[in-house]
Amino acid sequence: MGYYSTSQFKNGLKLILDGNPCSIISNEIRKPGKGQASNKVKLKDLITGKTLEKTFKSGESVEGADVMELDMQYLYNDGSEWSFMDPNTFDQFMINDSAMDDVRGYLVEQDMCIVTLWNDNPISVTPPNHVMLEVVDTDPGLKGDTAGTGGKPATMNTGVVVQVPLFISIGEKVKVDTRTNEYSGRT
Amino acid sequence: MKSLKDRAELIKKIRHFFDEQGVVEVQTPKLLDAPTSDTYIDSITMQVNKDIDQKTKYLHTSPELEMKKLLAQGSGDIYQICSVFRDNEQGFQNFNEFTMLEYYRLDFDLHQLMNDVVKLLNVLGVQGQVSQLSYAQAFSKYGDIDILNTDFDALKKIASTHGLTIDFEWIEDLQILLFTHLIEPKLEVLPICFIYDYPASQSALSTVEGQVAHRFELYLSGVEVANGYDELQDAQSYEKIFKRENNKRKQLKKTFFDPDLDFVLQLKEGLPQCSGVAIGIDRLISQIRLK
Repeated sequence: MGYYSTSQFKNGLKLILDGNPCSIISNEIRKPGKGQASNKVKLKDLITGKTLEKTFKSGESVEGADVMELDMQYLYNDGSEWSFMDPNTFDQFMINDSAMDDVRGYLVEQDMCIVTLWNDNPISVTPPNHVMLEVVDTDPGLKGDTAGTGGKPATMNTGVVVQVPLFISIGEKVKVDTRTNEYSGRT
Repeated sequence: MKSLKDRAELIKKIRHFFDEQGVVEVQTPKLLDAPTSDTYIDSITMQVNKDIDQKTKYLHTSPELEMKKLLAQGSGDIYQICSVFRDNEQGFQNFNEFTMLEYYRLDFDLHQLMNDVVKLLNVLGVQGQVSQLSYAQAFSKYGDIDILNTDFDALKKIASTHGLTIDFEWIEDLQILLFTHLIEPKLEVLPICFIYDYPASQSALSTVEGQVAHRFELYLSGVEVANGYDELQDAQSYEKIFKRENNKRKQLKKTFFDPDLDFVLQLKEGLPQCSGVAIGIDRLISQIRLK
């Protein structure tokens, strides 16, 4: 990968910082009347997910990160690895279970996900914004309560626990927002 | 349309302010034979007379030197409102062209000039508590750093702990970066704030006394709006600084030029004792509008 000068910085550009691939979230140029310009840059570390802030001298170059985001279909998991397929090339990628901590509860077989590759190795998976999950355990529903006042915890078939309205019962399929872990309907 | 009228009204008030005090409005050349030698300001280069006798000219980045030629010839107190042009400037508050008010007052020292700027601000409707902090006080108060007595290596360590780059050739550049990123944000709560007595290494074209240069910058709610000097008077000092700045440009592999010796020559007799300030009119207007 090449190097990028601060003049090429833009949102979404992937750089290597402290050994990790990072994506630029915002880039602000500061130029004092007397004195050198600098770039104040906010980045997301693509491995740890943390946001960091760095300041570069304008004109400075930073190593680019070979990061690709591909749409892939989730196939199955065998307990230790999760399998994804690129629908265009039919290439399959195996991702280690340890990298799936935040998303494992939202993966539904056949769903299209975004898989982020760094140097051709998968580093993270982003599930669709909404997924359909099946309730496998929750307290009995209250007949007639369709207004959904309050709520109750429900365990889904993927293991994730979501707050659902009182009228939801075991065996029903519900729509869950994967960004907020919130119930967002039944269809 | 209202903003057009507001702007015209503001310019009228500026002219009235100077008229009343007998400060004369001038127009100086904007298309110059020599570019600025300031290390971190780039002139916009123009090719002219292509069909006759092609020549390189430069748009002025500030009317400073041309106005100082007038001062050296005995013009007395003068002011100018004009567009200035700077290459490689774009961003949040920087543009290739902006409007500058520049004025010089004979026999004013730096503090008299700061008081005069406050009077002008009040006339233009900028009110509020006025703070005056020396560069060292600002660093000590807002950054817990003894800026005049901290060496380059120690400053680099401080910068690293704040996630700032430390890849600098000269201490003044790191001081400026620390000021921009650690101190400036703290000035946002101060409506009118003067920072004065800069480290001697950042003297630009101002007089130096011991560790400090008699220079100020004005911040309105954290935004840098003006830059004032107790002006250097003798031609040799100017020549020395032009050469120093050009050497820095050379080391940074930026375009560099021979210093503007025409200016030095015209200054032979020297400048009368005076203080001068440049005020960014567009930034000033946007600060007034925010209030």
